[in-house]
Parts: sequence; structure tokens; C-alpha cells
Amino acid sequence: MSNTDAPLVGDSFKLGYRFQNFWDVPMATAFFFGELGAGTFLISMYFDFIAGMILGLISTGVGKPFFHLTHMGVPAKSWRAVLRPDRSWISRGLISIMVFVPFGMLVVLDQAFGWSGGAFLGKLVMFVTVAAALVVMTYQGFAMSHSSSISLWNTGLMPVSSMAYALLSGSAVTLLLASVLGGLADADLVMLQKIFLGLLVVTLAILLSLLHAAYHGTRGGQQSVTLLIKESFSLPFHGLVFGAGIVLPLIALWFGGTTLVAVVVAAIGVLIGFFSYRVLIFKAGVYEPQISFAARLGLR
Amino acid sequence: MARMGMVFDLKRCIGCNACVIGCKQENSLPDGVFFTKTLSEDYGVYPSVKRVYIPTLCNHCEDAPCEKVCPSGATYTRDDGIVMVDGEKCIGCGSCAVACPYDQRSQVSKEMLDRGLFGEGQLTDFEKQGYDRFTPGTVIKCDFCSNRVDAGLDPACVVTCPTNARIFGDFDDPDSKPNRVMRERGGGQAPLAEKNTKPKVYYIS
Amino acid sequence: MSSSERVVQNSLKPGKWVRSTCKMCLHSCTNLIHVTDDGVVNKIEGDPSNPSNKGKLCPKGNAAIMRHYDPQRFKQPMKRTNPDKGPGVDPKWEPISWDEAFDICAREIGTSLKEDPRKILPSLEDFQKMHIWTWPLSFGNFNCFQSAGTICGGAYHPANGYIHASFASINDVKYCNYWINDGTGDGFSSHLHAAASSYHMANARVDRGMKVVTVEPRLSISGAKSEEWVPIKPATDRQFALSMSHVLVNEGLCDWKFLKQDTNAPYLVGEDGLFVRNDKGDIWVWDAKEEKAKLWNDKTIGDFALTGEYEIAGQKCKPAFQRFKDILDGCSPEEMEKITTVPPDTVRHIAREFAEAAQIGATIEIDGRTLPLRPAAYNYYRGAQGRKKGMQANHSYKLVNFLVGNIDAPGGHLGVNLDEKTIDWLRCEPGECGMMKGEPHQLGVVPPMSYPPNEYHLLSYFPVGVNPPHLNLSVWKDPEQFGMDYKPDVMVICHSNPLWAMQGPREGWFDIMRSMRFIVCCDIIPTETTDFADVILPSSDVLETWNMTMIEPPFTEGQCLRQPAVEPLYDTKSEEEIFYELSERMGLVDSWNNVINMVLGFHQVPELMLEPGKKYTDKEIAERKGKLWNGKDLDWYIEHGHSSTWRQSKKSYRPWEGMRLLFYIEDMVTIREDLKGKMKEKGVPFIDQWPWDDYQPLPTPDLDPIHLEPPEYDLYGFFFKDIQMNFGESLSNPWLKDIVYRDPVHTSILLNSGTMQAKGLESGDIIRLESPHGGPIYGRVAGVETMHPDAVGVSNSLSRIRTENRAVRHAGGHFNDMLPYDLKNTDAVTGQPETACRVKITKVDDWPESLKQGGTVYQMVDEIAKGKGAH
Repeated sequence: MSNTDAPLVGDSFKLGYRFQNFWDVPMATAFFFGELGAGTFLISMYFDFIAGMILGLISTGVGKPFFHLTHMGVPAKSWRAVLRPDRSWISRGLISIMVFVPFGMLVVLDQAFGWSGGAFLGKLVMFVTVAAALVVMTYQGFAMSHSSSISLWNTGLMPVSSMAYALLSGSAVTLLLASVLGGLADADLVMLQKIFLGLLVVTLAILLSLLHAAYHGTRGGQQSVTLLIKESFSLPFHGLVFGAGIVLPLIALWFGGTTLVAVVVAAIGVLIGFFSYRVLIFKAGVYEPQISFAARLGLR
Repeated sequence: MARMGMVFDLKRCIGCNACVIGCKQENSLPDGVFFTKTLSEDYGVYPSVKRVYIPTLCNHCEDAPCEKVCPSGATYTRDDGIVMVDGEKCIGCGSCAVACPYDQRSQVSKEMLDRGLFGEGQLTDFEKQGYDRFTPGTVIKCDFCSNRVDAGLDPACVVTCPTNARIFGDFDDPDSKPNRVMRERGGGQAPLAEKNTKPKVYYIS
Repeated sequence: MSSSERVVQNSLKPGKWVRSTCKMCLHSCTNLIHVTDDGVVNKIEGDPSNPSNKGKLCPKGNAAIMRHYDPQRFKQPMKRTNPDKGPGVDPKWEPISWDEAFDICAREIGTSLKEDPRKILPSLEDFQKMHIWTWPLSFGNFNCFQSAGTICGGAYHPANGYIHASFASINDVKYCNYWINDGTGDGFSSHLHAAASSYHMANARVDRGMKVVTVEPRLSISGAKSEEWVPIKPATDRQFALSMSHVLVNEGLCDWKFLKQDTNAPYLVGEDGLFVRNDKGDIWVWDAKEEKAKLWNDKTIGDFALTGEYEIAGQKCKPAFQRFKDILDGCSPEEMEKITTVPPDTVRHIAREFAEAAQIGATIEIDGRTLPLRPAAYNYYRGAQGRKKGMQANHSYKLVNFLVGNIDAPGGHLGVNLDEKTIDWLRCEPGECGMMKGEPHQLGVVPPMSYPPNEYHLLSYFPVGVNPPHLNLSVWKDPEQFGMDYKPDVMVICHSNPLWAMQGPREGWFDIMRSMRFIVCCDIIPTETTDFADVILPSSDVLETWNMTMIEPPFTEGQCLRQPAVEPLYDTKSEEEIFYELSERMGLVDSWNNVINMVLGFHQVPELMLEPGKKYTDKEIAERKGKLWNGKDLDWYIEHGHSSTWRQSKKSYRPWEGMRLLFYIEDMVTIREDLKGKMKEKGVPFIDQWPWDDYQPLPTPDLDPIHLEPPEYDLYGFFFKDIQMNFGESLSNPWLKDIVYRDPVHTSILLNSGTMQAKGLESGDIIRLESPHGGPIYGRVAGVETMHPDAVGVSNSLSRIRTENRAVRHAGGHFNDMLPYDLKNTDAVTGQPETACRVKITKVDDWPESLKQGGTVYQMVDEIAKGKGAH
């Protein structure tokens, strides 16, 4: 057995696990706002809830770019990020945002003022917006899973979790906004709450599958999951991602129904949970040590 | 057309890290940036122990994930197989860095370039003549000393390695040094082959 | 052209290449220095034209640019204005002119010189400039305050001098098939020309399949690359070597022909340890064929007896070999295992493999000579030679080689010269009675014995030795005991950092420094020692000066040129200019020129001799050294960089042909008696303390005093370096710090995992180490599988102390504080002190206050471990 079986070695010249530090809190925040915005827009659009749609567009159209610019190494050149949609999910995502936001505004305007008059153009605009929103909701997950490098991220469940969290947080924000501002019928609120609950369960299932897949995937994946479940990140992961993000909302909604208190607690819980997930999934990402070949050299 | 690559002879490597410093010299690397590192690992239980010294550097993968994820096209592969970064196109998003399974990329910061190698905010003449190649915020990595390769020379790390543990050449040329040594020693191992990036760096023991 | 295609690699930017010689350790790999058109040095590479290092440089050689551009380089002469002296105490330097600097120095040194030339305590330690090293001889002063002779080769060099008439030794990498390294990193991490020897060693191992066995308490680089690592309890290598010899002798695995014909092993030795001689002084041997005694040069001898007990003129005697055999009777692998912990089976199989690989009886044709081919050899150095019983230890390793007949044979164990000076110099001279003349004084003449002692470190009491400078501290603490009739009060220090290198407590050395009336340091960057100087004379560095050097290249010969690549960056001068200026002001130019002529060998060629009354530049001295070697002038050397060629076979292989090697070193007995007689005659009071037992003509298995220390000190502490740090100061260099403090062996105190657990410790705990002689030092412990269970390893990376040099990080105290520095722990023969110590470990909860102040090694290591990557 290697004597340094699973240590985190930082920058030292030992064989071991190294954290990726390139995508950190600013990037995680950008991802958060991006997916939150798309999810909020779509859920709100389903319920014809204009306030939610606008908030969604602001989240994706302002919040996400702002935090991306703080993360970017050369912010002035960021426009170059759209240049390679043929191979880069970042390019595809950015183009989708550039479609989603203006087209989304057109949809909002149509909803508010009916400029399309029900014509096919209006439906086309909506269709394009939805397509773009779906890409926005998932492309970040694809970007993470695209490379086999970070085992924790290298799973098809990553874009799935992105979509799940986008819709979950979107439902949370829509429900919260609607409960506070009004604008949705009671029946819609009840339905929304059911969707919310359903998404909570789905998200939990996806989370658990993701962790399972990583743990049984590679040693790097195992190391990442151990960090999240047992070691340095276990407190925030259990407390915030599971506790605040899944359990608390479940309890609040189950026992509180659509009361304002329950909705506020559930929504804020989900947002905290989602944001923490975003941050922790970055922080726990580790690079594999190159010891896989050492076994073949007869050294283990 | 060529496929430049490297073979590391683990029987020769003594972990001296002359390569690391030769590279820092050649490339005027800022403090904390390494284009190559030689790791060490102990195996076994006393007294049956072994230690292996493991040189690492960018593997200039044929199926480079860093190139695939780069949104600006800054990362590209030359005709001779060397994976390069165009600093003028790089936006510093870090996608390449998280896509590389080998953790071989570094991001230059303004703070690094200001701090200097002695950490006191004053640059030596050496640094002053070297740092202008770096744009703060961009991501950089080993380029097999592409200028030197163009001039028909081996990379700096290869040239200085006291034990000739680093063997550089064109994998498309059956008579190149890396191909010959792999034949003589019965093949080599690609690092993290299961990541499917087709690295052009092999290890023989 | 896009940005990534323009010329960014430094070696290709417009400029020129200058051929020169590296100086990052004391050796002389040659290099190529790239200077841009703007005059900036931006790349240094090895010189491929040198058969020694073949274009390679070790990490230190690669890092030279950062020494040159170090912002803390001394930029002009300075004098101290803060009377307080101490580690990390700001001297409050005030810049002064060169004139004023020379005035002060000449006045202060001159004052003491006039009173008593012995009052100068010099530390001039540049192996590449023996003419500076020997400057004090120009006023008859043999004092020495530098570490040369303690840590590196105090006993090693005299032993090489006796056996090979050489300074150093190495195995023959060209033909060797079975290479044993005992306590040395030759070929992997240290000693002779690290880059060069690593290059040749790798080729031998990989291309020729040479097998390497390493005997050492810590799995170093050598152990890691070996086919077999033999973990050994520290300070027991002599016993290991004797147990190997036991197997070789008792299983008949010896080169009897070599022993009988080429050594003094058959010479008969009386019970007094002296050879049995006739009244003319000729030595008797026993002819086993005719069964009678004959003189050593009797042509009728049929067979030289190696064993047996005989009587000549009523005197009982045995062949020297028999005396060794008698000693070996008590050195079986089983017996020696009790001391070394090496299993007997290991000793046996290594000895047998060694003997088999040695191909006793085989020959090879080289350059028209038929030579014995013995491709197995036992190499050793720092860790194995640094014992209180140093002479015996070194002798014991040599004897393993003797037994298989590989001394100076192709594939075997070869002598390596320091600086041959001329291309045809053969080092071996005939001695008496057919023996080779042993040359233990490899670093120059030892002054005649004196009482009261003229040398503060008692050099004249070590007629065999190199230098015992650690004894300065012993004598300092009790000068009356040693009968000293003077006290040094001026130090002249150049290219030396004794406060980092010496063994014994720092506080003791600080006291000596503080008591000096005047200290001048000639150096390039601040160090522990320059912190105590009164005047700093800044010297130009290796990229700014001239020199010509040959310094114990293991496999090659020839002179290597250092030429300036750039003009001096600052207001500095060459060391030659500095010392000539001082000499002129003190009337020493003529006598120094005489010394230089002798020391550098110019006296061999009258045209090259330095003339009275003239001062010389570094360039002029360099030119003469070059011409002395091969008659070529400086222009030739400027073009070629060096005259390095593979060593001529007549020098490598049996340069003593026809002479008998000193298997038995009778000198040990004669010198002992001579010294005893002189001490009695002069009434030397410490005669009873003198360790007379150390003088042994053959090594014994008697324990070194380290094994007899109180049992509460249950572990053996030792220090080590690796290729990033050997033979030089490198821990102020950012590139070298980068690789040192990322290497796990250099960032913690190393302890065997099992031992650590048994002591209830965990990796990362803060521990305190102390020895019976000193300490404590503190550090973080790491449990590893690569350490002998009785050993504690402390890398030199952890032994810097707080200094004015802001780049150097201190750790937990200096390991050498725990080492002894007294006579009891010094080899009476060579002056070698014990370089390991018994220690005990205590866990502490926190660092002591003094070590909490910023800039420690451990803080840097923690930052690295947090590993933010390059951001």
C-alpha cells in the first residue's frame, strides 16, 4: 500500500490529492444565480407569474455575469467566451444566456402587454426562450461533467442535478414571491407547493446518487465524498445542504402547508442549501494522484 | 505533422528537481508557479520500503480536455502536437484548469508578478526581462519549451536532467529517442489512462 | 505571430553564451551562462563539452541566477554601528568607502598581527581558491575557525591519503558492476560533483545494469534507487564493514595475490604493533614455501605468508594480515548484529555477492596495460566517516576493498585527487621498504607540535589530520587546561559561514564571536556569521570574477575556467583584490606570493611564479593555473571553458604500481609514540586526557563513545542534506526553497513510524530533542517507514537560525547544538569529531515563545500544504 494513502498534499511534491482552487466562491455564486434565474423564470412562466419571470431574468442576466466577471482572470476579454460553441459548454451556455434574456424579456412583455396577439411568432419566441432556459439550467452541470478530471463532477448526474436544483430553487423563489406579493390563485399555490415538495425529493435522490456514484467511481471521487460526508466539509454539507436545504423545507411545507411562515422558511432553506451545495461541490473537487500506474509497476 | 512527447525513465529519476528549476529559469516563472514537478512517494513497511520519484508535467494530450472546454479558443494544439495557450486570447475562466486531470495548469495573478520571487515587492533584473510574457489572470502551462523545439533544441528540463530521465522526441518518428527507449524497455505506462485524454507522456521503469 | 509564438524562452532571447564554472557547491561542473544584449543573465545551462557533467546541472547549479540577483547582496563596504551582536540583531550597517574599509581592516588586523600573529582566527573556506584559504600562512598562522574537517572529511581525507595518496575516493563508475554506498550520496544526491556523478551513475545502472546496495539509517535517494537498502543503526558502519570483512576472509573470498604482492599485509608485525625490522630497518616477511623468514625485497621468496605466528630473533610476530584476521574473529555477522542490527544473513549475502561480482583473478587491457578487473567496490563518505573513531572507521571501509583486491583497479575503488595542478602529475611516491608513501596531510602541511599550543584548535597535536576546528570551542571554554598563552581577538572570514556549520552550542560560538575585538567578513549575502561582523567587505560573485579550478572531479581531470559573464552589479571587488590590498597594507604581499607559489604549484614552472612586490588579479592567477596544467593561455580557456578530459588511466588505475599499499598503517603506532614522547618532553598537562586508544594500525570493533551515552537518550540523531543543499548555502535562494520545502523529507523531523507510535506520538506533534551534549531543539515530527527504528533524522533545511537574511527561515534550533565538541568525542588521530548524537524525545504542547516569531520553515510548509495552487 502506498504510505500516503489518501492525504491532501497541497502544493508539496508528494503523490496525493490536490484541491482544485480555480472555481471558487465567485464562480459558485455565478452558477447559483444562473441556474436560479432560469429555474425561476420557467416555473414562473408555467404559472404566468410575471414578477417571478422578471426576477429570474435579473438573476441570470445581471447576477450571474456580475459574479463571473469577479471570477474571470481577464474580465475585459470575457466576450471571447462565446467563441467556441462547437466544443465548449461555456460558449454554448453564454450564447444561450444571450438568447434567453432578451427573448425572455419579449415573453414577459407578451405576457404583460400581449404584443404577439397569440400569433405563431409569440409561441416561437416562447419556445426559443424555453429551449435557451433549459440550456442555461443545465450547461453549467455539463461544463463540470465534460472532463473526466474531477471525479466528483464527472457524472451525467451533474447536469441533472443542475436542472433539479434550478427547478427546485425556481419553485422556492416563485412560491415565496407569490406568497408575499400575491398574484397566484390558491389552486396554483397548492400545485406549486406540490411541485416544490416533489422536487425536494427528486433533488435529494439525485444528490445521494451523485455521492454514491463518485464514491464508487474512483479514488479521487471517494476522497471528495469523504471530505463532504465525514471530514472537513461535513459540517456545512450536512447542516446546510441536507439540513437547511432539504430537511427543513420538507418539514416546513409538510406541517405548514402554504402558510407564509412555512413558505419563507422553506424557500430560504432551499436557497441556503443550493448555494452551499454549489460552493461545497467546488471546494471538495480534487485531482486524482497519478498512482494508478504505480500499481502496474508492482509497487503496491 | 509530428507528435512531440516525452518518456520518463523512473529508473533514472533521482527526484533532484533540477528540471523544476531549469524550467523556472527558462520560462521566468513567477513565484509559486511550476510547469513541472517531481513528486516522491514511499511504499511498503519498514524495512521493505521503496521510494519512487515521479516527474510530472503537462502531458500534451492528443485528446486534450483543456482544449475541448476552452471557450475562447486560447488553448490549441500545434501541428507538432504541442498544446499551447495563446495568452492574448485567454480570458482566465479556469475551465481548462479544472478539466485537466493532471492538475498541470496555473493561473498567473498580478499579485504574483508584483510580489516577485523574493517576496518583497521588488523584481530582480531577471524577472523584469521575463515577466512581460505573462498577462495577469491568464492560465499558463508547460509548452515543451516551444521556442526551443522550433530551434531544434530539447526543452530546458530535458537538457538539464542530470540522469537523462526525461526523453523527448516525436512519437511519429519510429526512430525517435522516446520510441526507441520504450521499445528497449518493453513499453510504458500512460498516467491516469482511464481518464481517456491520450497523454503523450509515458513512464517506464 | 500570436503572443504564444514570440520568443519567450530565455535561452533564445538575443544575447551571448559565456563558458564558465559553477560555484553553487564547492565543486566545479562547467556551465554556459546566457547574457542578454541588455546585460541580464537569464539562463544558465550545463556545458555539454565537459565529459564530467556533460551539459548537466544539479538544482543548485540551475539556481545560480537567484544568488546573483539576490536583493540582499552586499552592495558596498559597510561598518557596524550597533555594538550589540547576536542572531537576528540588526548591525545597523553604515556604508563606507573602500578606502575607509581597508584602513579599518588593515589597522585592526595589523594591530593583532604585530602583537602576536596567532591572535588572528581565520575562516577562509573556498575550496576553489586555495590561495585565499592559505593566506594566513603568509604570517605563519595555522589557526582555523571553519567547519572543513569536522562534518565532511576530517578522517576521510587522511585515510584516502594513506591508502591511495589521494584526497578523496570513489568507485570506478566506468566498469563497476556492484556498487556499495555506505553513508554517502555519491551518484545520487551529494559529494563529488553531484550533477556529473549522477549522470554517470544513472548510465552505469541503466545501460550496464550495475547493481547498487546502500547501507544507511535513512532511505535517502541512494537507498531509494538501490536494488537493496540495508537499514543500519547510526554510527555502526565500521562494525558492519568488519563483519563483511569477516565473511570475506573466513569464506576465502579474497584476492590473495593482491594482498601478497601489492600490499604490506604479509609484513611481519611484532607485539608492539611495529614492523619487525633488521638493524638496517628492512622489514621481515615469512616465506611460506621455504618456511623461513626473509627480508621484504628478497627475490627468492616463493610465497608470502599472510597468516601464522612466527618468531624472529626471539620476537613473536605475525603477518599484518593475521593481526587483522585475529580482530575479525570477534567480528562475525552474528556478533556485529548486536551493534548494527543488520541481520547476519544480509551481511553474508552482500559479502558473497560483492566477492562474486569482484571477479577476483580477472584482468582487462586498458591503454596497453594488463590490469586486474575488479568490478565491485565499497564506497562511503559523510555519514560513515564522521565518527569519533574516524580513522578506524575509514580504514575499515578501505579494508573491505583491499580484501577483494580492487584498490585503484578498473571497476574498483579509486583514489580521487583534489587539484593535480599539472597534467602529468602522478600522486604516488615510494616510501620505505617497498611501500607506497602514505600522504595523510591532504590539505597541507601540519605545523610542528608546540606547547603551549600555537593553534587554538590544537592542530599540531593531529599530525595526521585535516583540521579539528570544533576544538576552538573546547579550548575557549577552558584555555588554562590547554595551557594557552594567548587569546585570539581578530577574525578574518571569507566565503565561510562557521556559525551555521560548526558543531556545539550556538551560544558558545556566539560568545567567541562577541569576544573578538574585530571581525571582518568578506561575503556576498548576509548569513548567520556576517551578522557578527564589524566590517563587511563585499566580494564580487561567481558571475563577475575569474578563477581556474580543479576540485576533486571523480572521473575526469583538468582545469575549469570561471570568467565574468557580466560586470559587477554593485561596488564589490574580487577576493584577490581584497586580500592583496590588505596584504599590501600589512606588508604581507611577498610572503603571500611565496605561499601562493607553493600552494598552487607555480614553483614548478619558474615563468609562472608570482614575483615579489607585485599584486595580482584573479584573472592573472587564473591564467597561471591554466598554463600550469597544460601550457595553454587564457584565450584558449576562454574559448574552450575548460581542459577537462576523462582521467588518464595511468592516474586512475594503480598509479602506485610496483609499490605496496598500506594495508597495515604502522604510522598509527609510530605517530602515537612520537606524539606521546613530545608531550612528555614538553610537559603537556592534558596528556592523560589524550585518547591514545584511537591510534590503531588496524580497525577494531570497539564501540564509539556515542554508544556509551546514558540510556535515557534512547535514539540516535543525525542530520542530512540532499542534492538541493549539499556543500553550499542554498536556503536563501527562492528557487531552491521552492523545491526543498515541498519535499517531505525536508519539512519534518523524521522518525520511524513504529518508534513514533511506541512513544505515543503522532505525525505533526511538536517535539523537543536533546542530547547529553546540548540542545534542546524543537520540531514537528513525521512518522515514516523509511527510517531505522533507533534513528532520528533532521534535515539541514531545519537548522538555519534567525539571521539578518530575510529569505532564510529558521525552524526549531540548530541540530549541531546537540553535537559534542570536546576531546573525548574527537579522534585523536585525525581530529574528526563525532557527527551524530544520542537524543531523547519529549512531546511539547506548543512552540517556545522564541520560535513563534514569524518566518519559520513550518509556516512556509503549512502554506504549501494548504495548497491554493498558483492563483
